[in-house]
Amino acid sequence: MNLLSGIGVTADALAAQKTRLDIVAQNIANAQTTRTSAGGPYQRQIVSFETELVQQGGGPALQGVKVAGIAPDRSPGQQVYNPQHPDADSSGFVTMPNVNVAYEMVDMITASRAYEANLAFAKDARQLAEKTLEIGK
Amino acid sequence: MIPVGSISSSPILPPSIAPVAPSITETGGSAPAAGGFGQMLDRLVSPVEQQQAQADRITQQVLLGDSGQLHQSVIAMQEASLSFSLMVQVRNKLVESYQELMRMQA
Repeated sequence: MNLLSGIGVTADALAAQKTRLDIVAQNIANAQTTRTSAGGPYQRQIVSFETELVQQGGGPALQGVKVAGIAPDRSPGQQVYNPQHPDADSSGFVTMPNVNVAYEMVDMITASRAYEANLAFAKDARQLAEKTLEIGK
Repeated sequence: MIPVGSISSSPILPPSIAPVAPSITETGGSAPAAGGFGQMLDRLVSPVEQQQAQADRITQQVLLGDSGQLHQSVIAMQEASLSFSLMVQVRNKLVESYQELMRMQA
């Protein structure tokens, strides 16, 4: 049954934006992490999206969205002089993660607004279906 | 116009009703190919039931922490609720037509 038209695409978009928000949270949480299992400081992660065909019963095939991949940002991290730090190199510099908290905040706001936009669509689809059912009343 | 006496007279009504009642129980009990009233209701209710079971399953997964897809759970519940409303609408129409039929003998 496909009572809520287009809801499959919206559900995909909500999942994708949620992944983006999770990655933003991870970037902010690791903004001061200088040691990772792969060695070196934490690298900022970037989420990219791609389209995906969503089949729905009786309608046209719609293009949904899914997470294409989570790739690291390769730009170098800031060098901070801090000889007391356990991860400082021989000249006393610590390589900090390449996370810019201000950028992450902007990303977070963009992702939450995108999530809200998709929620607004879900609400609208529900209201339309309810109005349609009122034909019989 | 039909005289009032012919409608209220008891010899006419019982024979017309009596053959109908056993035939309903027959189609409901033995012959599913005939597509009786019970089967029609069954076809109406079973997809709604499936949808509610699916919503239950997804919500349980979210509550147990197996899935972080909160929106999937709410959407599934909404779809179940809508299909239930649709079923109620169809039921209302059926009852309405039944009552309309019953009014014919009045």
